[in-house]
Formats: sequence, C-alpha cells, structure tokens
Amino acid sequence: MARWALRRAAAGGVLLWLVATLTFALVSLAPGDVASRLSDARISPAVRERWRHDFGLDRPLASRYASWLGSALSGDLGSSWTHHRPVTAVLAESIPNTALLASLGLLLEIAGGVAFALAQLRRPHGTADRFITVVTLTAYALPTFLVALGLLYVFSYSLHWLPSSHLLSPAGELATGWAKTRDLLAHLVLPVLTVGIAGMGAVARYLRGSLLDERTQGYVVAARARGCSETRALLTHALPNAMLPLITMIGLSLPFLVSGSLVIEVVFSWPGMGQAMYAAALARDVPLLMGGTLVATLAVVVGNALADLAYAAVDPRVRV
Amino acid sequence: MNPRHARSPLVALGLAMVASACSDKPYPATAPDGAEGPRRGGQCVVGALADVSTFNEYQSAGDSYELQLMELLFPSLMVEQPDFELHPPSFAPSLATSWEFSQDNRVITFHLRPDARWTDGVPVTANDVRFTYLVQKDERIGAPGLEIKDYITDVEVKDAHTVAFHFSRVYPYQLMDANDGHIIPEHAWGKVPMDKWRATDFEEILVTSGPFRVAAHNPQQTLILERDPAWWGAPRPYLDRLVLRVIPDIASQLAQLVAGEIHLVEVVPPREAGRIRDHTELELVEYPSRRWGFVAWNNRRAPFTDRRVRKALSLAVNRKALVDSVYFGHARLAVGPVLSSMWAFNRNLAPLPYDLAQARALLAEAGWRDSDGDGILDRGGKPFVFDLAYPSANSLRADMAVIIQADLARVGVVCRPQQVEYAALLARLDAGQFDASISAWAEATKVDLTAPWTTPSDTQGTSNFMGYSNPEVDRLIAAAREEADYARAKVLLDRIQEIIVDDQPVTFIYEANDLVGISRRIRGADFNALSTFFNIDEWYWGP
Amino acid sequence: MSETTTRRLRKSAHLVATGPRRLRVGLLILTSLLGVCSLGPWWTADPSAILDPRVAALLPPGSSRIVVERRDGSTLAAESVRHEGDVVVAIRGGVAERLEAGEITAIRETSYWLGTDTLGRDVLARLLHGGRVSLAVGALALFVALFVGVAVGMAAGLAGRTIDGVLMRLVDALLAVPMLFLLILLAALFRPSVFTLVAVLGFSSWMGVARLVRGQVLSLKSRDFVLGARAIGAGPLRIAVIHLLPNVTTPLAQDAALRLGDLILIEAALSFLGLGVQPPLASWGGMVAQGEELVMGGWWVSLFPGACIAATVVAAALIADGLGDLARAQRHP
Repeated sequence: MARWALRRAAAGGVLLWLVATLTFALVSLAPGDVASRLSDARISPAVRERWRHDFGLDRPLASRYASWLGSALSGDLGSSWTHHRPVTAVLAESIPNTALLASLGLLLEIAGGVAFALAQLRRPHGTADRFITVVTLTAYALPTFLVALGLLYVFSYSLHWLPSSHLLSPAGELATGWAKTRDLLAHLVLPVLTVGIAGMGAVARYLRGSLLDERTQGYVVAARARGCSETRALLTHALPNAMLPLITMIGLSLPFLVSGSLVIEVVFSWPGMGQAMYAAALARDVPLLMGGTLVATLAVVVGNALADLAYAAVDPRVRV
Repeated sequence: MNPRHARSPLVALGLAMVASACSDKPYPATAPDGAEGPRRGGQCVVGALADVSTFNEYQSAGDSYELQLMELLFPSLMVEQPDFELHPPSFAPSLATSWEFSQDNRVITFHLRPDARWTDGVPVTANDVRFTYLVQKDERIGAPGLEIKDYITDVEVKDAHTVAFHFSRVYPYQLMDANDGHIIPEHAWGKVPMDKWRATDFEEILVTSGPFRVAAHNPQQTLILERDPAWWGAPRPYLDRLVLRVIPDIASQLAQLVAGEIHLVEVVPPREAGRIRDHTELELVEYPSRRWGFVAWNNRRAPFTDRRVRKALSLAVNRKALVDSVYFGHARLAVGPVLSSMWAFNRNLAPLPYDLAQARALLAEAGWRDSDGDGILDRGGKPFVFDLAYPSANSLRADMAVIIQADLARVGVVCRPQQVEYAALLARLDAGQFDASISAWAEATKVDLTAPWTTPSDTQGTSNFMGYSNPEVDRLIAAAREEADYARAKVLLDRIQEIIVDDQPVTFIYEANDLVGISRRIRGADFNALSTFFNIDEWYWGP
Repeated sequence: MSETTTRRLRKSAHLVATGPRRLRVGLLILTSLLGVCSLGPWWTADPSAILDPRVAALLPPGSSRIVVERRDGSTLAAESVRHEGDVVVAIRGGVAERLEAGEITAIRETSYWLGTDTLGRDVLARLLHGGRVSLAVGALALFVALFVGVAVGMAAGLAGRTIDGVLMRLVDALLAVPMLFLLILLAALFRPSVFTLVAVLGFSSWMGVARLVRGQVLSLKSRDFVLGARAIGAGPLRIAVIHLLPNVTTPLAQDAALRLGDLILIEAALSFLGLGVQPPLASWGGMVAQGEELVMGGWWVSLFPGACIAATVVAAALIADGLGDLARAQRHP
C-alpha cells in the first residue's frame, strides 16, 4: 500500500510537471501578452513596455520558465497580473463556487440517473422504458446552453419563480444567517438543474446498459429464484455491481469540480473557475493560468487515485 | 470592515449554521410614496459586463467602465462639462472650489474645499493632490496616462487647501491635463513602495471620498456602493445604494432588465434597441458616443501603400447600407479623424460617396484590371486578395466583415474575413502583420491627433498601427498642438482633416451612438458621452 | 479483401437489418441528416447571399419577400412591388421607393421557410450548408482522433513498459489540461480555418481512443491467436493491423459513435467562443453561437441548428447503444 501510494505520488508529480510545462509553452508561444490589450485603449508603448518589464516578459522564455518553476516548487504561485492579488486568493474565491455547483450537480445526476435506470428496468423494452430512453437521450444530446436558456426563460423570465443569475441577490449579499442561505439555495436551483440534466441522461443510459447485463448474471437469477422481488434483486444485488464503473466515472469527474463549465457559468453569471480561467487565457494572465491548471491537474491525479482506491475497496478482485 | 467578508457561498453556509438567529431585513427596493421630485432612498442595480479589476485607477489597464466607477469613489479637482461640441471642454468646481491662472498663464492655483474628508475621517488636502501627481508621473508605476502630465513640471503645496500646478508651456488643455485622473489618498496608499504597486491589492487598504463608498464587494459578482453620508455634496446623492451586478452575457443583461431584476444596461445592442424602447417600463436613452469604427489598411504593405487603392476600396463599400444594417440607424457615418460631435470637426467635409464607377476607375489607374476574365482584379499576374481581420466573439464586426466582403466582390476584389482571438489580433496589429482589420477606438475629448495619425516613431504616432505617414500632416499636427489659441488651432485641424480624408489611411465607417436602457423608476438621470454616471448624485427613485 | 472480412461484413449487414432497433433508428437518423445536408444545398439558395439586410434581416420562419435584381448587380428586398408605367414602386420597410423599370433585370419572390438571420441570409440554406461543414469537420476530426489514438494505443500496448509509461503519461497530461483553455491558446497560435479546426479538434480528442485501444491490446496480446502469430514470426506491425485491429473494432466503433457527437458539440462550443469556422461559411455551431445573442428577438436562428446538433448526438448515441446490444447478443446468443 505504501509502495503503491509512493508510486502514484511520483507519477502524479511527473504528470503535474508535464502539464505545467505544456501549459507554460502554450501560453508563452501564443501571440499577444498581458500588455497587448493596453494598445486598444491607446495606452502608450512606454507604459506597455513598463508592464512587460514588471512582469518579467522582457526576459528570455527559459529564464521565465525556470523562475516560475522555482517559485511553484517552493509553494509560491505568484500574483495574478490582472487581479493584482495572489493567485491563491483568486483561486480560493472561484473554486468553492464551482465546487458547490458541480458537486450538487453531480449528486443530482447520479440520483436522477439511478432512479431513471431503475424505473426503466422494471419492465425492459416496455412503454415506460422506451419513453424514458427518449427523455434521457434528449437530455444527453441537448447542447448545455439550450437547456440553460430554456430553464431560464420558463422559470425565471416568464414565471418569475427563481432568480436567473449569481449566487446571491443584492439583498442576500447584505443579509446574514438563514436569509442568506435561503437566497443562495434559490439561486442554486437552475444552474444545478442544468448541470444535472445533461449528466443524468448519461448516467441513466450507462446504468441501464450495465444493469441489463447484470440481471442475466447467475447471482441475480439465483436471488430471484430464492424469491427476491424484481426490484429487490435489482437494488440489492445488481445495482452495487453495476455501480462499480460509475465510481471510476465519479473519480474522473472530480476535475470538473474545480475546472467548471464556462457556458453554464456565463449564462448564469456564476463566478467560478470556468470564467476565471477563460478570462485569464484571454488576458494572458500567466500566473493565474498556471495556478489554475496546476490545481485542475492535481484534481485529476487525486481523482484517479481515489477512483482506484474506491474500486479496490468494493471489488475484492482488484488490489492496489 | 473588510468589504470582502463572506466571499464564498460555502462561507455563507457555514455562517448560517453558526448564526441561526440573525435578523432578516432585505432592503426595500422602492422608496416610500410621496410627492414628485427628488427624494432620498432606493437603489439602482446596474448590469456590468465585468468586475472592476482594481480600485486604484493608476494600476488599471485603462478599461473605460472601471474608470467610470472611480468617479463615484474618488474626488477630482473639477468636473469636465459635456460641451465639447462647441469648444474645448470647460470645467465646473468640485474638490477645487475656485482656481486662477498666473500672469504668464504658466501656473494654475487651485483652492480646495476644507470640508472634504476620506472615509476614515482624514481630510482631503493639497498633499493628496501632489501625491497623485507624483504617482501619475512615476516611471515605476507606469500609469495608463503617464504622458498626459508631460507639460506639468511640478505640483506645489501652498498650504493644506491650496495647490499650484506649474506648466512648462501655455496651451489650450492646461486645465484638462491638470484635472486628469482622480485624487488618491496619500495617508493610506503612500506607504506602499512605488515599485510594489503592480502587485498590491489596494482594496485591502481602500479609503475613498466620493458620493458613494464601498459597502460590500463579492468579486466577479456584485459590488455594492452605498451613499457616503460624509460627502460634501449633501444632501445628495439621493440614492441609498448603487449595486453593480457582473453579468458577462449581454443577452442575460437585457433579459434581466426586461424582467426588472436590474435597472440599467449601459450597452444595449443596436438590434435590441427597438424592443427596449417599446417596453412600457423601460426607457431607451440615445446620444452620440465617442466610439468610432474603421477598416484599417496596412499602409506599409502593398497594395494598400497606394492612396488610390485605399480610396477605391472606401468608395466601393456601401457604408450607409452597412451602418444601417448593423446599427439599425443607431450610428452615423464617420467622416474623418475628428468625431462629427466635436468642436474641432471640419463641417465642410462629408463622408465619401458610395461610387462603384469611381472605385473601378481608381483601381484601374493603380494598375488593377481583370486581365484573365475571372471576375477578380489582378496586377502583374497576382489577383487582388486580402485578409480582413477582426476580433472573435464580436458579432457586429463579424456582420460588417461579411458585408464588406460582399461589397468588394462587386469591384472584383477578394476579401477574406478572418476572426482572430483578441490578444493575438492586437499583437499582430502592433507588429504590422496584417492586411486590413476592422478596428474601433474611443476618442478622448481632448483633440490631439499625434498618437493615431503622425508617422510612427518612439514618441509620435504611438497608436498609428496602420503605418500612415504624411510629412505634411505631421507638420500640421505639431503646429496645431503648439497653438495656444483654439480658434487658430481649428484652422490647422480643418486642413489636417481634409488631407487625411483625402489620403484614406483607413476607411472611416461609423460613429456609434450610446444606447442606454433604464427603468422608468429611476429619475433624474442625465447621460452623456463623458460618463453614464455623470450626474449620479441627482438620480432618484420615482414614485 | 479476405474471405473472413467479407463474411464478417455480410454478417454485420445481416445483424443491422435484423438486429437492435436502436442501431437501425440511429443509422436512419444519421443517414437522413447526411443525405439532406449533402444533397439539400443543390436546391437551396446561396447561403452567403446578402440580399438586403435592412429589409430582410431576422424575418421569422415562413416569411417571404420580393427580391428586385438591378442592372448593377445589387439586390433589394421589398414587402411588395407594383408597376406604375415605367416606374416600379417597391415598399421597403413600410416606405415606398420608386425604381426605374429599365434598371431592373428581374423580380422574384423568395420564401424563407426557416426565417433569416441578422444579415437577411436564408436560415434553411445556411442550415443545410452548415450541416455539410459540421458533419464533415466532425467526421474528419473523428478520423484524425481515431488514427492517432489507435496508433498510440497500439504502440503503448505492444511496446515495452518504458514506452508504454511515457505514452500513457503523455495521454494523462493532455487529458488533464483543461480542454477549453487549450483550445483558446491553440486558436491564438494558429490561423483559424477549417483545416486547423479539424486538426485542433482531432488532436485534442485522440487520448480517450488511445486509452481504450491500449486496454484492449493489453488484454488481447496474451491470447493464443496473438501468441501463435508471434511464434510464426509476425512483426509487431503485422500483429497490430491483421490480428489486433479487427478485434477492437466493436468497442472502437461504439466509442467513435459517441465521440462524433462530442466533436460536433465541441465545434459548437468553439464557435460560441468565436473560434470556429470562418465567415461567411456556415456551421451548426457557428449558427447556434450567432443566435445565442438573439434568443429573445430571433429564436429561429439558434433553435434549428441546435436541434440538428442534438439529432446528430442522439443518432450517434443510438448507434453506440445498438452496437453494444449487438455485442451483447453475440456474447449471449
């Protein structure tokens, strides 16, 4: 186990370095730098050169890379060039927002997906099954922003039931306690639904397939022969096994918890990592981009490791 | 209080669990009923496309929205008046109650209000004014408007409330240059070493002195400004709060304006203007902005080195139809380098006509003929093909590019629209790596044609990425800049405009109108091209 | 073509005909989309034709306008036209405009079944042309991804531990970089064009294929038929192409079907960011992006291409499901 952990950590370290190097090369080779956008506001070249000097952009690429790597290794991600604050501070603002949305979305998509799949398997190839297949397929296939806009127009702009954007209303911003929480919860509904609907389709479709496989397996047939009801056989015997690959899927979607979805964040004015990284890429804010990428990569490493561990925990055939 | 408390919803959730019995008093969005006329109370929620990146304008990247907000929080000596249509702008008292010029006009002495205070109670003094000047001039800080203060040699503190600006020469924009930039607090920000400014978070040491102060800031989401009761303009402002909501998507801003969730959208897209105007609870305010757009030809690259070619391309584009199609009547045809709403505009000039025959003749004169009968002009065996770059994610310019392409095809010129990522495009324009680009500029109210239209060098023509060069224009612009009397400068400026329009270094396309959508509940707002918040202290909630 | 391949093909065709309904429905949707988009444009109007944006912009579905062609090659759109002697009176935007009959070469009526966009271009024509572009870009990118992915996956599975380790770490690294921001920087680095779009899409999505193929190869390479082939002296390339490739086709086809849908969605996302195909060329993703700003004033501009994208993804998912059912049926006949 200790050797496994050590090997995983080493591989993770290599992966982090690879991703960091790749990202650094890309953002440095892409035309334009943080001072470029000043030219559109007719700010003089002298000022632009000053910015470049202050951010070390007038030094050779290798030296910039070396000094970034040096400070990153010592745990210093530097200061964002566009936010004028430490990168960690900017990330600490954005990641919780994204994680909140993504984790609730993930919960919804698993819960909804399992429910749909079970409902379908009560009578496979029956009317309900076909109908739900169409529903889940549609949910899976609709472009995310169409779902988001549809929900917005119905529940927010037409019915005025739910707020359309942000985490809090201006009043909620100044409120405290339960009022603030209630405000936050109301604001969460539509974005979480949007994240959930797309994922729900995928989970349901996946589970239906694997449950169909499992229910013909000997142990499920045996359980049924022992007098288990169909639902019970599915729930207590087939489902745990069918869920196995789903654990991997959840582990693999951990990065999504920190990287976020730009489209959803833009449509709902949700200040998360998707928007932050998009803006950083457009503004060529190198320290912020590098910091965000590192955190996302770390999430990949940890997510993969957790998925393997969980898999090993539930499936005795697999050893780590 | 640190305005950045409770940044994340997770913190909020945590707080909610600890503090279970807190009072719940959402702010009433409407003022109590009463008589007509301004009264206190209420809040205005404004849609913003992005959050402020800094509260220190000398750290900013020159974003106009950000600078506009600074006037709500920081004082300036005077307030520029929106009378640039008649003469160089005049000024009204603000932090300075009066000012006078010295005998030789080289010194301006300002007398400051004694009652002005920063939010921490410290008086605003002449020391702050001098500190601001030192910051503006400091090379290490590299503030956006560094060169504006070129002719100011010193700012002298006479006493706590008297300050004198010393100039190296006499010119029409002395007041304007002295006034440029807001006054910042020396006692709070003077402690930060100037070589550390770039990476300093000034929000943590924020002290302001304006009609509003920061009540709460949830980054990338909401900035809540509240009335500063200690402001010298009391009883104004009338509004209790100004809430800036970051809504990056303009379609969402409009939907929320229509739904009544926000009260003000500053940049209504022209095609949506009619819908806002027809809405019973909304008002559409329209006025000429200082933004104008053009096709920049690379004057250093053949065939655009030839004046006849540039002029022919301008003549071949039906600019009237283009502006009508893209701006739905909410823009005017641009004429030349000076906006038609400025006092310095040469009113004898008119936009170039749409004239295909003349365009074809000019192209033929420059050697471009369709010698192989394929419908495309050629010269020396090479067809007339060029790339027209424009920034991606800009649908108006995308539409323009396609219309220009269709128009130029009529005279046998192949134009290939090419959307380029914004920063990459700016870098390419800067390096001269382009054929043509659809660009736009926001013009200052100070008429100085040096940066955009003189031959590029280290100190001149610094925005002239087109590479336009005409010695006669260089000479006239220098003369106009030196001219102390604006009426005499106007004669020179008229001539410069004639030459530039004749040279067509760019194809002048549009002067856009600003379209502001505002709830009818907000009264007293008077928008102009200087700022959306020009008279913010007079806005009030209607009955 | 070897006899086994022919037999296998015939068997597959038979299975499709009698096999899972999902597969048939999916193939039917996909082929009809392909058919309509490849043949349709022969009948529709020019998708880039800008007739008269001032009068024909953002017309709702089912509208029609009279188009007047003039001698100088320009066109005008009008709500109605009537002759008054030598003069033609066109009502444009509610205002009467008098045109000399002599300068008019043709007057025709144009119907816009699916409405027009901001420049007055026919949405139906753009939808069909855009379908060609989107499906072609998706298919080509899929081809690139499959080619690179299969090559890398085979190499990693067959070569030694070191090469396998290096290749798989590379795959991990590329999968870990947030895709969107990778695409933004790539778009800034290269000039956007259909070619770069295909390359960028293809090279950014081969990693999943490589993982899949490697996994299959690892489990197959100790099977008897591979060991036997190796014993009689077959080289690694021969083993990869002749013996392994046919055995990974089913999972690969299933993966490819899902991936096609993904690629078209990514193309849409790229256009949403303004980094898709270049104008005036239409693509479904580009149209959706264009319409996003107009949802309130012109839902038709984004809804129809959005529906087409969804239909493609549905078809691809059905095909993938069907292939899975097929494999299941073969395992448990």
